[in-house]
Amino acid sequence: MTPSRKKRLTYFLVSAVVVLILGKFIFNSLQKNTIYFFSPTDLYLNSENPKGLIRVGGLVKKGSVQENKNEATYTFVVTDLKNDIYVEYKGILPNLFQEEKGVVVEGTLKDKKFLLGKTILAKHDENYMPPEVAEALKKSGNWNKKYDQ
Amino acid sequence: MISNLGAVLLIVSFLTTCSTLFLYIKNNIIQKSSIYLQFFLFYKVSFYLILFSFFVLIVCFAISDFSIISVYENSHTDKPLFYKISAAWGNHEGSMLLFILVISLYGILFLLNSKNINDSLRACTIFFQSIIQLIFLSFLIFTSNPFSKIFPVPVQGLGLNPILQDPLLAIHPPFLYLGYVGFSLVFSLLLAALILKQYNSRWASIAKKWIMLPWSFLSFGIGLGSFWAYYELGWGGYWFWDPVENASLMPWIASTALIHSIVVMEKLKKLFAWTAILTILTFILSLFGTFLVRSGVLNSVHAFANDPERGVYILFIITIITLGSLIIYILKFPKESVNNNSFALFSRDFSILLNNYFLIFILTVVIVGTTYPILLSVFTGETISVGPQYYNTILAPFIFIFLILMAMGPLMKWNGNSLISIKQKIFSFFIVSIFLTILISLYLSRYNFIFLLGVLCSVYLIVSVFYEIVMSKKTFFTKQNFSRLFSHLGFGLLILAITLNHFFSKEINAKIHLGESFFKQGIKINFLKSESSKEKNFEELFGIYKITKDNKTFILKPSVRKYKQPQQFTSETSIQRDGLSDVYIAMDYAGDPSMGMGVRFYYNYFVRLIWISFALITIGGIVSFVRRGNEKTI
Repeated sequence: MTPSRKKRLTYFLVSAVVVLILGKFIFNSLQKNTIYFFSPTDLYLNSENPKGLIRVGGLVKKGSVQENKNEATYTFVVTDLKNDIYVEYKGILPNLFQEEKGVVVEGTLKDKKFLLGKTILAKHDENYMPPEVAEALKKSGNWNKKYDQ
Repeated sequence: MISNLGAVLLIVSFLTTCSTLFLYIKNNIIQKSSIYLQFFLFYKVSFYLILFSFFVLIVCFAISDFSIISVYENSHTDKPLFYKISAAWGNHEGSMLLFILVISLYGILFLLNSKNINDSLRACTIFFQSIIQLIFLSFLIFTSNPFSKIFPVPVQGLGLNPILQDPLLAIHPPFLYLGYVGFSLVFSLLLAALILKQYNSRWASIAKKWIMLPWSFLSFGIGLGSFWAYYELGWGGYWFWDPVENASLMPWIASTALIHSIVVMEKLKKLFAWTAILTILTFILSLFGTFLVRSGVLNSVHAFANDPERGVYILFIITIITLGSLIIYILKFPKESVNNNSFALFSRDFSILLNNYFLIFILTVVIVGTTYPILLSVFTGETISVGPQYYNTILAPFIFIFLILMAMGPLMKWNGNSLISIKQKIFSFFIVSIFLTILISLYLSRYNFIFLLGVLCSVYLIVSVFYEIVMSKKTFFTKQNFSRLFSHLGFGLLILAITLNHFFSKEINAKIHLGESFFKQGIKINFLKSESSKEKNFEELFGIYKITKDNKTFILKPSVRKYKQPQQFTSETSIQRDGLSDVYIAMDYAGDPSMGMGVRFYYNYFVRLIWISFALITIGGIVSFVRRGNEKTI
C-alpha cells in the first residue's frame, strides 16, 4: 500500500468510527426523549402501561373539572367518547382549557386510568383541535363535523 | 376593482419573468451576444411589477376589500389599520407573495451592487434568480393566488388570530424572509459561476458578501421570533425547540458553516467542493423550512395558515431545485481544484474545518429531532414529539468544546503548524477564565459542574475576544476581523446568558385571590386590584400585582384579553426590568375570577443579555457586509 492510500484508509476508518459513535449518541438520546401520544382508548387496549413521560389527548368531559383548593390541584376526565382517563394536575389551567374542548396533557401514568399531569398543552386558539385529538376521536368513531374548523 | 389590478399585475410579472428568461436564452445562449442591457431591464421591470402587486395587496387589506378570499379570511373592519396591513403577509398567500418579492429584491440588489463583476457572471446569476422567481410565481398563481375572489362578497371578514396581532410579529416574518430567502442569490451565484467556469477564490470574495447580508437578517429574525415567543406566549421561555423555530435555525447553522468555509476558499484556495455543497445545502434547508411551516405537517404553536396540499407542491419544487443544482454541480465542478486539500493540525484553516464538523453535527441533531416525528407519523402513524431535553443534553457538551475552539482558532496562523507561539496565550486565557469563573460562582454561590463548565467555556471565548480588541486597539476599526470579533463576542455572551438563565431563573405558579398575597422562593406576590377596559376589538381584564424580591418592589399589570373576532382569550404578559434580568408575570383566566386568578410568575435571570447577544451577532454580520461593499474584486 502506498503511504497516501494508507493515510486515506486511516482517515476513512477514523471518520467512520466517529460518525457511528455520534450516530449512536443521537439515537440513544432520541429514544430517551421521545414522548409518545396516546388516546384514552389506546391506553385501555394496551396490555402494558407506558413508562415515563407521555401525552394523552381528547376532550375534557363535561362537568368533570374539579378543584381542590387546599392543594391547588385540579382533577378532570379526558375522553375520546369511548374510554376515559382521570387526570390530576397541579398548577394553573391555561386560558384555552374548557370543558368539551380538545386538550393534550403531558404527564406520567399512575395506572391505566389515572394520569399525573405535568403540563397542559393548550397554546392554540379555541376552535383549534390538536391533530392528535382529532385522530383519536376519529379512531373511536366519535368524530363530529362541528370540530372541523 | 383594485383587486383585479393585483391579479393582472401578478400575471404580467409572470409573463415578464418568462420573457426575461427567453431573452437570455435567445440573445446570450443561442446568439452568444454579450450585451445584457435589455435582459437586465426586463428583470428590473419584473421586480417593479411584483413590488407593485404586493403594494396592491396591502391596499386591499387596508381598505378591507372582502371580495378577496384572503382578505375575508384574515381581516376584519374592527381591526386597527396597522394589523390590517400586517395581515397582508400574516397569511399563506400574502406571505408567499412576500417570499417572491424578496427573491426579486435580492436579484435587484445584486444587479445594483455588482458593477465590479464581469457582465456574463452577473447576467447568468440573474438568469438563475429568474428561474427561482418563476418557479415560485407559478406556485403562487396556480395554487395560492392572493387575489382569488369570493362571491357573493361578504360584508365582514373572519378576523386575524389575536396571537398574530402584535407589532413584533408584524415585522418578524419579513426579516426571516429577508434572511433565508436571501440565500437564493448566493445559490444562483454558485450555479452561474459553475457554468461559466468562474468558481474560484475570487468567486468566494464576491459571494461572501451575499451570504453575510441574509445571514444578518436571519440572525435578527430569529432573535425577534425568540423575543416574540418570550413575551407573547407567556410561558417564560425564549426558545422551545419548536419545529418552526428549528426550521429557521437549520439554514442559519448551515450558512454559519458556509461563512467560515468560504474564508478558507478565498484565502487558501481550499474546500472548493465543500463550500459549493454548503451553499446548496443552505438554500435547500431554507426551502425545507418554508415547507415545514407552510405545509401543515407540523403541530406547533405556529400551526396557522397552512394547507397540506400545498406542501406537496413545495416538496416537488424542493426536489426539482435540489436535483437541478446537484446535476450542475456534478457536471461542472472544476476537478483541478481538488488536489490542494491538505490541512495541518494546528492551523487556522484546520480549526475552521473543525468548526464546520461541529456545525454539521449540530445541524444533524436539529434535523433529526425535527423530522423524526414527521417521518414516524408518515410511515407508522404513531404520534410522538421530541422533548427539549433531547437537544439540550446532546448539544451542551459539544457547544462547550466548540466555544473553546472558537477562542483558539483565530489565534493560529493560516497554513501554520505549531502551537508553540500561542501556547502562552491559550494558557493565560485559561488562568484568567478560571479565575473569573470562580469569582462568578462564589458570587452566585452555585457550584454545579455543568454550570461551572458552561461559564468557564463561554468566559474563555469572551476573554479571548477582549484580548484581541485590546491588543489591536489602533487598527481595530480598519481591520477585517472587526465583524468576527462582534459575532464571536455575541455568541460567547449568548451561551453565558443561556447558562445563567438556565440555572438561576425561577418559576412560580399560584392561584391568588384579590387582595391576598403569596410567598415562595423568597418572592412575594401581592394581588392588589383588578381593572377592566373595553377596546375596539377586545375587552381587557387587568390584574395589578406587587412583587417583592430582595427588598425591591415591582408593580406589574398583566391582563387577559377577550377578542371578539375571532372569539378567543389571550394572556398579555407584563415584564419589568431588574438589571439584566426580568420580572415576568402572566395571568390565566379559567372560569370565575372571584375564585382567584391563576398567575404564572417567572424571574428570568440575565435574559436581557440574550437579546444583547443576538444584537451583537447581527451587528457583526452587517459590519462585514458593509465593509465588503467597496472592494474591487473582478
